Amino acid sequence: MQKKWLGLGMSLILATVIAGCSGNDSNGNGASATNGPSEGTKATPTAEANKPPVTLKYWTDDRHDQEYINEMINKFNETNEDNIKVELTVMSENYAQSVDIAFSSNQAPDVLRLKGANTPVFFKKGYLEPIDGFLTDDIKAKFDKVILDGVNRFDDKVYSLANNGQTLRLVYNKDLFAKAGIENPPASLQEMVDAAKKITEAGKSEGVYGFALNFKNPKSAFDRSIREILSLSGHQGLGFDLKTGQFDFAPYSQVIEYFKQMYADGSILPGAESLDIDPLRAQFAAGKIGMYLSFSTEPGVYKDQFPTEINWGGALAPTIDGQIKGKSEIVSAGTWLGISAQSANKEAAWTFMQYMYGDEILKSYHEKGFGIAVVPAIVEQAANPDINGMEGFLVGEHDSIWPVAPTVTPEGANYADAFFKYVLAGGDLQAITTDLNARYNDALSKAVEKGEVSVTPNPAFDPTKPQG
Amino acid sequence: MNLKWKRFGENSLFLSPSIILTAVLGVYPLIWMLRYMFYDYVGYGEPLFIGLENFRRVMRDGLFWESVGNTFIYAGGKLVITLPISLLLAVILNGKLRGGNLLRGIYFMPTIISTAVISVVFYTIFNSYNGMVNTALMKLNLVSQPVDWLGTKYAMFTLILVAVWGAVGNYMLLFLAGLQGIPQDLYESASIDGANAGRKFWNITLPMLAPVAQLVIMLAIIASLKGYESIMLITEGGPIGKTEVMYLYLYKLLFPVATGMPVEQQLGYGSAVGFVTAVIVGAITGLYFLLSRKMNKMY
Amino acid sequence: MNEQVLSRRPERKGDKSTIGLDSGRAGRIVGRTVMWLFLLVTAALTVFPLLMTLSGSLKTGAEMMTGGSLLPAKMQFSNYAEAWRQANFARYTWNSAFISIIATIGSLLVASMAAYVVDRRQFPGKAIFVTTQASLMFISVGAIVLRPQFDLMVVLNLNTTLWGVILILISAHSSTFFLLLGFFKAIPRELDEAAMVDGSGFMRTFFLIVLPLLTPGLGVAGLFEFRHAWNQYILPLVFTMTNPELQPLTVGLANLRYGSSAAMQIHLMMAGACLSILPMLLVYILANKSFIQVTSGSVKG
Repeated sequence: MQKKWLGLGMSLILATVIAGCSGNDSNGNGASATNGPSEGTKATPTAEANKPPVTLKYWTDDRHDQEYINEMINKFNETNEDNIKVELTVMSENYAQSVDIAFSSNQAPDVLRLKGANTPVFFKKGYLEPIDGFLTDDIKAKFDKVILDGVNRFDDKVYSLANNGQTLRLVYNKDLFAKAGIENPPASLQEMVDAAKKITEAGKSEGVYGFALNFKNPKSAFDRSIREILSLSGHQGLGFDLKTGQFDFAPYSQVIEYFKQMYADGSILPGAESLDIDPLRAQFAAGKIGMYLSFSTEPGVYKDQFPTEINWGGALAPTIDGQIKGKSEIVSAGTWLGISAQSANKEAAWTFMQYMYGDEILKSYHEKGFGIAVVPAIVEQAANPDINGMEGFLVGEHDSIWPVAPTVTPEGANYADAFFKYVLAGGDLQAITTDLNARYNDALSKAVEKGEVSVTPNPAFDPTKPQG
Repeated sequence: MNLKWKRFGENSLFLSPSIILTAVLGVYPLIWMLRYMFYDYVGYGEPLFIGLENFRRVMRDGLFWESVGNTFIYAGGKLVITLPISLLLAVILNGKLRGGNLLRGIYFMPTIISTAVISVVFYTIFNSYNGMVNTALMKLNLVSQPVDWLGTKYAMFTLILVAVWGAVGNYMLLFLAGLQGIPQDLYESASIDGANAGRKFWNITLPMLAPVAQLVIMLAIIASLKGYESIMLITEGGPIGKTEVMYLYLYKLLFPVATGMPVEQQLGYGSAVGFVTAVIVGAITGLYFLLSRKMNKMY
Repeated sequence: MNEQVLSRRPERKGDKSTIGLDSGRAGRIVGRTVMWLFLLVTAALTVFPLLMTLSGSLKTGAEMMTGGSLLPAKMQFSNYAEAWRQANFARYTWNSAFISIIATIGSLLVASMAAYVVDRRQFPGKAIFVTTQASLMFISVGAIVLRPQFDLMVVLNLNTTLWGVILILISAHSSTFFLLLGFFKAIPRELDEAAMVDGSGFMRTFFLIVLPLLTPGLGVAGLFEFRHAWNQYILPLVFTMTNPELQPLTVGLANLRYGSSAAMQIHLMMAGACLSILPMLLVYILANKSFIQVTSGSVKG
């Protein structure tokens, strides 16, 4: 009797599971039918009139430009002749997770915002559709200079096109600098440490501190600061050595010493360890922070999000010894939009992409200061954005796109967490660096073995001409 | 036979919703975990069988063991502060007291509020640059400059305070329930014998409360080892991992918290960590269970 | 799992003083003072964060950002209207209510049916069933179960609705099951046996005769379940990540930290926190008595 009962229970469960599975199968087939690169979709007849309505989902994690993008989408929805309707979803910090979840549950968006850091990973996970089939000669010519391997081209297929990049700068409060008797923004790390100390001494009684970063997420903090300090000093900014094709965190550790010094001096805003970037900006806007480093999105932020009275500016990041030995990296420059491999409406998605990549939008994107144009044809015709503080962020002789560094997931703590721990708690920096090198190179060789990334050492790499 | 089948049908009808839901959403995920803890699986591509490698990795994963240590500090701290306060409140409120009902209502209030909501609030009032706790302390001249409540030194302490805030009322009520089960005549006859309040507490209240207290403490241990929502929302385990606890570490392996940066979902490794974590919690619970039984025998 | 568990008899004995303070008079006064000090300080600390939330919800965004004052310079009641409309709290509240109500009813139904059979009948596998329910209360493997649960919901096509979250909440009904089991034991068997003899069917007996007698138990278990569902965070966070319009209050509120709209608006966040606490507070005040009684009853035995 007992067995019988158990048997019934099990078969009930099985029945449910099987019913469920078969449901999924049909779903899965539906999705995989549209998986093959564009053949399926291209076959759809392109009758001009009375097309069935198509709804496209477009996901982004850009918040600074959302009003403008919304406006452009509305315009597209009203004017396009193919009856396409685009729905914009702006995600927050959970963007990458949300994309992962969406792709594992057949809810993937049709169009995705791609950034320098997430594109290789999305490609690796098979989320992206190559767009080579859509590219006309005109478009190819327009973007030719900014199609880069490992950035928007993988295995000889193109997945996204460039629009804008972000320069990174030291953002500093001119009033506080003046008050502390400092004339120029720091050119070397030692000067930065000294300036932070002076500003703190001059303003501590009013809650003013010399330096801050959003250390709640050390990686986010260092990737907007040390990355730039290193590239301008002649080293790749994420700890990768382009000459040897291996990770080498030795230059990184040199910079870290100065950060540690600022902490030891008490020049860093108390509570920075639990600070997100927005509260940091709010404090900067309130005149409580002497300087920090961040992207060229900051001028827009202080225009719209945190309007401020303070007199501030952007300047080139300091370098290790005050000598500029490399180009300041323009980040996230080669990618903007991409099409999902799971999209059922790739053709329509491309129509939308084409609209977004039109000269007008790319131009005004730059002119409104959301990002800095990198497509040569646009750079030529676009005027400089008229936003307070933007002048410090414009692309100059010291800025350039860099070759991409491979993304790997090592066992244990990432470099930012490990180094930040050293900043706060001390330890043996040499040992930390050696350990990081070992773990990152280990993860790298495993990824190469699996065929997930490819690395070509370039012994002749010259940081003053990173584009070769 | 007919009746037997009828009863069988009725039983099945009444039990099947529970059985199906439990099996599919309660037991199956455990089996899933038991399977994938032997695989290298990062959420895409084919899972690769790697035997015990994930467990070897757990063994050498310093961050995980640090989080285990932090979990003990967090749970221990929470228990050591919460339980005495709860017990004291319960003992006092068990007596006749003006306004006792109102006070009980106030102490219990935190337990009806979502941990997530109150954590968001606690972050805002504890942060050192514009938090209201510092404002209040400075207005009262208790401190001269902002205290870095969420910094390396005090973050764990602050999180424990938040946990205590949310838990005191709950355990107070549970103790109160236990106290009300103690027969009044014991106290009365003790009074006749001339025992004072302290003697009564040690000789009557504590021993009589012991069985209930054992259960309450067991629940408290499990709950405090498991809690990580408020940590996730207040410090995300930082700074420099000082407040990382086991379950938060596990959550981050599966849903990496990183600004706009995709990181691999460590499903295989996460399964192994989940298993080890459950074993650790199970071992502590079991150990406590054995100890409390031994104590029982001593009485 | 709730922190309170199992069992029966939600009745209590009369309140009588258990600590007679009969040493010296001076000692008694000191003791009283210390006791009241302790009670009041604890009460103040308990209420402080809630008052700060209330005060914050009435400040302007600028006041919140720069800190400084404890009380708002001028009450900004419009924050609430703004949170309700602009920050989408109307939607979040609806989602929270939907999840909580259905999950509560669902788990009460599932658990009471199972508990009834377990209490009244013998059946093969009973020990296995009860042991499984009990062990599920004590095994906690953390967030890892979310992935297989999510995959299952994808298979069932429920991942784009709130039903996925609801089903998972209902599936975790062990503590409700044991709580109700305790209450069933207190209902005399003779009662339903008599009804059956009178020709009332099994279903009829359960729903029309036994269940009404179970009302106190259902009330208690329902309150716990409702509180549990209303306060969920991580489960709905993961399940609604791709569908912001499905988010409940807890998730919507926590996401406001990142200010997905124009700026980070802490004052709206505080208003939202108040809004999200309010319904639970109402339920609590209305059911205060049974809440406390029940919690009391739940540890005995």
